[in-house]
Amino acid sequence: MTDCGCDKAKAELEEFLHRELSEQDLRDVQEHLDGCVDCSSEHLVGLTLTQKVQRACQEKAPEELRASILASLGS
Amino acid sequence: MLVLDVPTMTGRTGALGIDSTPMADSARPKPTSDELRGLFAEQAIPFMDQLYAAAMRMTRNPADAGDLVQETYTKAFAAFAGFEQGTNLKAWLYRILTNTYINSYRKNQRSPYQGTLDDLEDWQLGSAESLTQGRTTRSAEAEAIDHLPDSDVKEALQSIPEDFRLAVYLADVEGFSYQEIADIMKTPVGTVMSRLHRGRRLLRERLAEYARERGYTVADTPSGSTR
Repeated sequence: MTDCGCDKAKAELEEFLHRELSEQDLRDVQEHLDGCVDCSSEHLVGLTLTQKVQRACQEKAPEELRASILASLGS
Repeated sequence: MLVLDVPTMTGRTGALGIDSTPMADSARPKPTSDELRGLFAEQAIPFMDQLYAAAMRMTRNPADAGDLVQETYTKAFAAFAGFEQGTNLKAWLYRILTNTYINSYRKNQRSPYQGTLDDLEDWQLGSAESLTQGRTTRSAEAEAIDHLPDSDVKEALQSIPEDFRLAVYLADVEGFSYQEIADIMKTPVGTVMSRLHRGRRLLRERLAEYARERGYTVADTPSGSTR
C-alpha cells in the first residue's frame, strides 16, 4: 500500500471515465492522473476501450425498416 | 389494443420521467392525434439508427434487430401520449427497447446461469484485476486495442454475458448515466456498476487475446518498444 493516491485513483477510474464522480472527486482524480504515468496509462487503456466500442457499434437502420416504420405511423 | 409491458407498469416515477399516475390533463390541452404523430416523427424517429445498433447488439442478427426496432416504435407510438415532453425521450425509448427485447426475444434463449451471474465472485469470472503492469505494456495494450478491426470488437462484445454487454453498451456507446442505465435495466445502480466493471474487464481481456492472435504486442512482452 502506498500513500501516493494510486489506490484511490485506480478504484475511481471507471467512474471518472463515465463522468460519474462529484466535481471534487473528478478534480482529484484528474490531478492525480496528471502526475502519475502508471495511472494515466491505465486510464488510456480504459478510454481507448470506450472509444473503440463506440466506433465499432455505429450502425445504420436499413432503408426498408425506416420506410416500414414510417408507414406504420400513418399520415 | 396493445398491451404495454413497458413504461407504464413500473408504477413509479424514475429519472426517465415515466409516471404511472394520470397526467395533469387540466394543465395543458391534449394534443390531437395528428399533433402527436408529428411530434413523434420529429422527436423519436431520429433515434432509429441508434436503436437499431443497440438491437443488433442484443439480437445479434439483422432480421431480429429490425423486428425489435419495429416493435419498439409501435409500442412507443402507442404510449407516446403518456410521454412527458421535456423529459429524456432517448432513455424512454431505450427502456421500451430493452423491455421488448427481454420479454419477446430473450425468453427462450436465456441461459440458466444468467440469473446468478451478478452473484459470481470476480475470481469465478477469471483473470486477475490488473491485466498488464507498468506504463510500457499498458500503452502497448492501448495501441493494440486501437488497431483491432471493428469486427473483432463486435465479436468480443457478443462473447461477454448479455447483462454485462448491455451495461457496457448503454454506458460506453450511448453515454447514459449509471442512474439512467439502472432505470433502463431495472436494477440498482450498484449492480450497474458491477456489470459495467466486469463487462469492461472481460472485453479488455478478449481484445487482448485477439490482439495477440493478430501478432500485436500486448502483455507478456516487457520490451521497451511500443511499436
